[in-house]
Amino acid sequence: MIKFFFMIVFLVSNHIFSILEIEILKGSDNLSKVAFVPFGIESGIEENYGIQISRNIEKNMLLFGEFENLAVNEMLSYPSSENDFYYRDWKVLGVDYSVIGKINSVNALGNLNISYSLFNINRRIKILEGEIVGSEDNIEGISKIISNRIYEEITGLKGIFDTKLAYVINSDADTYQMCISDIDGKNEQILFTSKAPIMSPDWSPDRKKIAYVSFENGLAEIFIQDLQSGERDSIQALGMTNSAPVWSPDGKSLALVVSFSGNPDIFLYSIRNKRLVRLTNHYGIDTEPSWSPDSKKIIFTSDRSGSPQLYEINTKSKRKKRLTRDGNYNARGRYFPDGKSIFFVHGRDGNFQIATKKLSSRYIETLTSTSLDESPTISPNGNIIIYATKDGSNGYLGGITLDGKSKFSLPVKNGSVREPAWSPLLN
Amino acid sequence: MRRLFMEPIGIFILAMLCQVYSCAANVSDSVERMQYASVAGEEYLQGDKLETNLDDKVYFDFDKSALDAEDKNLLEQYLPEIKKAKIVRLEGHCDERGTREYNLALGERRALEVRDFLVVKGVSGKKIRVVSFGEEKPLKSSSNEKAWAENRRVEISLY
Repeated sequence: MIKFFFMIVFLVSNHIFSILEIEILKGSDNLSKVAFVPFGIESGIEENYGIQISRNIEKNMLLFGEFENLAVNEMLSYPSSENDFYYRDWKVLGVDYSVIGKINSVNALGNLNISYSLFNINRRIKILEGEIVGSEDNIEGISKIISNRIYEEITGLKGIFDTKLAYVINSDADTYQMCISDIDGKNEQILFTSKAPIMSPDWSPDRKKIAYVSFENGLAEIFIQDLQSGERDSIQALGMTNSAPVWSPDGKSLALVVSFSGNPDIFLYSIRNKRLVRLTNHYGIDTEPSWSPDSKKIIFTSDRSGSPQLYEINTKSKRKKRLTRDGNYNARGRYFPDGKSIFFVHGRDGNFQIATKKLSSRYIETLTSTSLDESPTISPNGNIIIYATKDGSNGYLGGITLDGKSKFSLPVKNGSVREPAWSPLLN
Repeated sequence: MRRLFMEPIGIFILAMLCQVYSCAANVSDSVERMQYASVAGEEYLQGDKLETNLDDKVYFDFDKSALDAEDKNLLEQYLPEIKKAKIVRLEGHCDERGTREYNLALGERRALEVRDFLVVKGVSGKKIRVVSFGEEKPLKSSSNEKAWAENRRVEISLY
């Protein structure tokens, strides 16, 4: 048995190709306004830290166009503790929430002790108070944690500022790169560069590995790459085409597509004992599997009715159910984190757009308005979808919040970016 | 067959068949790895490609894999060269519309249609290699009907 092991040297991101940067296209007219007051500092602490932390939090909170901010120079006061905080100073400026904080101390190891508070101006109450200890070298990380807590308190949704994005960059006809970056586009890492196409990245639930398809050996082959070591492991060529790997919620297996003698079906692949178990068996095309959050079902695309439509299959009973009927192209479905709705690519009148559907209803809602949209991925809190689309001959990523508050794009400087895959939250 | 399945009664029959079949599949359908063709079989790619002066592409309609009379005619002309070759590589491709993984499967289906036609015409199936690139390797990168039509293809190469 031949084993393919490759040691990959992590290339330091050289900024030639990419770096995603979010551009807000449309914000709603009535976004909540948040004031991010520069954090106070005790004497003896590096002066910049205060403004650095409040700016980082502000950048995070504004990242997807969900809030608007109050400029620092328009503020009437700069409180750093509750004692100096006056609601009228913020009410008069139309502010809905204020974030204040203070760096209280730094110890010999360079650990900062930071306290912060969030005020609801309209209700005139403090709604969040917290304290965090972290290293001077990790102000970005500390800011993300505070941002997550503030975001959760205001929206009731999990904060996603420490999540990551995987994507494929095609900088010219013969260069394909598997990349990951922080969700704000920072800290890009190129995991693998190839002259042959790369497809279908998917994060392991622990965020330590990525599965994807690479054509480096002449045909579609599934690899698992460890992000820490860079080591890549082919799960071995089976049949003609191996594609569309997706991790099970427990991280122990992949659902994937194997085409034995040219008939693609869905299989479950156990990572530990490397066995394949067949899930579907039909002469039509079955592909694009994805797990329900409770692991009980798998959604997939099949053309068994004559056009690509979405189905779900119970992994135990193998009972199948057709999920879509409207339109002649409904494909690559994924469940929402709550398992109650799905999102997918919906083709109608020659346009391919991202759409959602409640499992309990027939109605399909189209979210996007461009015509070549594909590969949608959802934030772990279920509020934002990022997808791939195209402008001229260049692919870029688009994004939309599901409450309709914001639309944004994530272009790359050169070449095309596609197949975004949002990481899970760190547990 | 397909048309039947689009009718309600057809869907019912299909559903019943699927139930029966998947029960049977439950029992024994676990597959050992490495019993099938692997990347090791792609070594011929290092060898020389045989040049012919024939048009080496077959084109398809959107989301379709059937060969029309023109395609079959082209393949007929190709047969003598194909029979001489040691390896026949059929590379299936799609246009950019629709989803990538589905297109990967569709490209494979297109290449298989060509293979099946060649086998019926007496070409040994053993020397035919089928691979799909889905929508990953378009000939034209623009987004219009003309480019899409050129990209929906099977490329034939002989070794």
